[in-house]
Amino acid sequence: MSDEFQPLLTSRYGIEGSHTLAVAEKHGAYRTARRALTMMSPEQIKEEVKKASLRGRGGAGFPAGVKWGFLNPKEGEEVYLVVNGDESEPGTFKDRTIMNQDPHRLIEGILITCWAIGAHTAYIYVRGELKHSIDSLDAALAEARTKGYVGDRPFGKPHPIHIWTHSGAGAYICGEETALLNSLEGRRGEPRLKPPFPAVKGAFGMPTIVNNVETISAVPDIVELGGERWCSLSRLAPTDGGVRLYGISGHVKKPGIYEAPVGITMRELIYDYGGGMLHDDHPLKAVIPGGSSTPVLRPDWTVDAPNEDHPLHAWHGKSELDVPMGVDTYRALGTMLGTCCATVMDDTVNMVEACRNLMRFYRHESCGQCTPCREGGAWLVDVLDGLLSGRGKVDDVNMLVDIANNMMGNTICAFGEGTAMPLLGFVQRFADEFVEVAKRGLPLDVRHDESTRALVKGGVAA
Amino acid sequence: MPTFKLNGQDIPFEPGDTIIRAAWRAGVEIPHYCWHPGLSVAANCRMCLVHIKSGRQMALPVLVWDEAKQKYVPGTKPKLQPACQIAAAEGMEVDSVGEEVEQAHAHVQEFLLLNHPVDCPICDQAGECKLQDYYEEHQHTLKRKRTEPVHKPKAVRFGPTIVYDAERCIMCTRCIRFCDEVARDHVLDMRERGNRNEIVLAPGRQLDHKYTLMTEHVCPVGALTSRDFRFKARVWFLKTVPGVCSGCATGCTTHVDFDPRNGKVYRLRPRDNEACNQYWMCDDGMMSYKELHEGRVLTPVRGRGDEAELLLVEEAVDAAVAALRGVDHGKIGVVLSALHSNEDNFVLARLAEELGTDKLYLAARDAKLEGWEGDEILRHADPNPNRAGAHAAAGRTIEESVEDLVSDVLAGEVRAVIALGPWCGERAESLAPLAQLDAFICLSANEGTLPELASLLIPAASWAEQSGSFTNAKGISQEFERAVPAPNGVLPAWQTLVHVAAGLGLNLRYGRTSEVRNHMNAKPAASAAAPV
Repeated sequence: MSDEFQPLLTSRYGIEGSHTLAVAEKHGAYRTARRALTMMSPEQIKEEVKKASLRGRGGAGFPAGVKWGFLNPKEGEEVYLVVNGDESEPGTFKDRTIMNQDPHRLIEGILITCWAIGAHTAYIYVRGELKHSIDSLDAALAEARTKGYVGDRPFGKPHPIHIWTHSGAGAYICGEETALLNSLEGRRGEPRLKPPFPAVKGAFGMPTIVNNVETISAVPDIVELGGERWCSLSRLAPTDGGVRLYGISGHVKKPGIYEAPVGITMRELIYDYGGGMLHDDHPLKAVIPGGSSTPVLRPDWTVDAPNEDHPLHAWHGKSELDVPMGVDTYRALGTMLGTCCATVMDDTVNMVEACRNLMRFYRHESCGQCTPCREGGAWLVDVLDGLLSGRGKVDDVNMLVDIANNMMGNTICAFGEGTAMPLLGFVQRFADEFVEVAKRGLPLDVRHDESTRALVKGGVAA
Repeated sequence: MPTFKLNGQDIPFEPGDTIIRAAWRAGVEIPHYCWHPGLSVAANCRMCLVHIKSGRQMALPVLVWDEAKQKYVPGTKPKLQPACQIAAAEGMEVDSVGEEVEQAHAHVQEFLLLNHPVDCPICDQAGECKLQDYYEEHQHTLKRKRTEPVHKPKAVRFGPTIVYDAERCIMCTRCIRFCDEVARDHVLDMRERGNRNEIVLAPGRQLDHKYTLMTEHVCPVGALTSRDFRFKARVWFLKTVPGVCSGCATGCTTHVDFDPRNGKVYRLRPRDNEACNQYWMCDDGMMSYKELHEGRVLTPVRGRGDEAELLLVEEAVDAAVAALRGVDHGKIGVVLSALHSNEDNFVLARLAEELGTDKLYLAARDAKLEGWEGDEILRHADPNPNRAGAHAAAGRTIEESVEDLVSDVLAGEVRAVIALGPWCGERAESLAPLAQLDAFICLSANEGTLPELASLLIPAASWAEQSGSFTNAKGISQEFERAVPAPNGVLPAWQTLVHVAAGLGLNLRYGRTSEVRNHMNAKPAASAAAPV
């Protein structure tokens, strides 16, 4: 952890009353928005964001500047900005800290973005369970409206910008951008067929930009510092720029949200920011890097990139933990950076059990629209139940891979991959443990969660 | 026309066509459940996945077993695309066969059957079920899931016509989309998530619009069954001939499904017809087969009321000849029917010509009297299948209705009547004067107001018991084929008329339907029917 690092996204975290407009403004809020709306053209802002190499913070890591560039509204079409605050990925808890502690940063980002993309209306779609975040945003919006920052003439500019919060109803799938749009419109939260993409036909049939809360919250800093300078804060500049929020939870001493440059390593995140393993006698066994959909990493696995043109050649032979955390580097590693919120597991965790725990989540949350995800996800849980309850066979492990392989790429949205990918990751990196459980059932010395205990005792699986 | 290649075969397409639609039009089937040519694209069954050769590999890895290393290693596979969603493009090369695609088909099929009850022996869809067909064609594996399937509601009554079994349902949403897009009534939707979802009715509603049986028809599996058809027949015993619906002037083309062992028609299904009904029919049309077996006239009857006397079928013609012999031919009224085929009407019109009478009338069902309502979808305001055909047979538009016939009878201008069909759009009371006629011969397949009053009622074959044609309101003449044999001795009306003409010594000689048709088509007025 470098001492000279100046927090940007979290600069107002921890200040008493940081969620109020008065305190936030005293600490710099809306300064950039005022400048952007009064002195900068939309093209200038878009150019800065493009230069910043701001990769989407919601999980897919798509460059925000490029996404904005897809907008090409036809005559008479209104552009919408939709902010994705449906943060539901297990292990992820970063967006809510912005919405709770510094809602004005998000609102400022929205104002600048709306001006840049020509939107007059923005919706902040917040996961229903995040009541506190919704209340915090609503209160902040009320203040901003009173001040006139949000309204018909923000900072005197005749470009009306209206912002509304919209509560989800507790469905993970509504974090998928087109399912979110359906939910926003009052429809069943099911992903839409793409194309058309939201930038062409999104909310209410209009061109829409959907960005994550953290993505939008980074916009003021980008405009303030300039795209290039903000980008250079990253260790992976120029392809993956800036700073971002890192989350860490599980078996570490200091779980929480930390701001750091893009490209720190997992080792730094766990041992520097996270304070190291929770129990000194229980070493790190596995870490899920960025939300439950990202394949797990193993500290004792090394990068195998002997070819010089391999993007990870520089880390050949090093531990997976020493690869910088970036969208492209992690993709090359066979996992994904996702939401950048890591879940750390020590050697008390049985990987089959952990896997089943996640798969139960996906079974429950699949919207059920398309076949492979609806049926495959539930079947995975079924097979894992069999393994853990001692009914399994070694061949069941192959069957898990077969099921997951045939969910991959065959679904309407990325949920199918989000289910299959972590399973394949677990099996690939912990194949021995799966075979062991298949042969002998769950070892007695691991801690079970309630539902597994019931399963092992021969009770009914949850 | 531009083309693309499907499995090496050139497939022409129109701009905007999806791969599956172009292939379907060319007669090549890509396996599918949720896609229907008449509905929007849902792309949810994932059965139609194809490999587009110019497409990319999947960015994310799958796992493959490395025999040498004895472990799973990351592998790659092509990104397959749903043929129902991807637009065809010039020169595109698509494969719906090949290892990767067939593997995807096999797995989708396996996924669909994971929780499907194997109750085919009691399922009405068995024999025409896509799950069965595609299991044979694409799955190639036994069931690998060994645990209890998910249980869901069974035998849910959706309305007066449809029963739903959620366990059999594959959630293709065809029924939902049909109600939304064709019937324009958002009465069905989906509830719950994951593999616990099911189709439900809108709160407080029943599935009771005019097209409910179409939901059963579009259902690719046995989830929706028709209360009328279920448990009545096994489809592999049924034979099918092309038919035309007799329900209204739209003239939807149908498949007539009948059991040759007992000569019964069991159901009608729409027959694809771009020019007329596309892929659909209304409930009343679907149920119109009931008239083939209910309220039929099977025996000739002479006299009315207490004096009624049953005749043998063979005696009917002689009775008719005897009844007409004494009457001045010029005073014989001839009633064509908008419910009868072109052939029946044409021969009767020819008989009128031979008799030398110009007193033609048209009997037709009256919408108001029948409680019939047309709509903007398929149901024509006119509940008669062949008004245009009757006009064409007469060579002119027949303005005179049965009401006019009654006044002519009262005026003494008409002394005898030969009429086709059971209905005439009048209430029985207003037809009372027809009882004064010297002879009132009615040829009809079904009971109705006209047969009730006839002094000589002669049974006629129904539309399913003869081949013939109807001309719909658009002026399109559509032929139907004989499905089942007529009841013993009963002839098509036109054949009876030919015999009557012979008995009267008139020159009206037709032996086969084709002869009638040839003569009919030779007369320009008959072929160019005036649209109504």
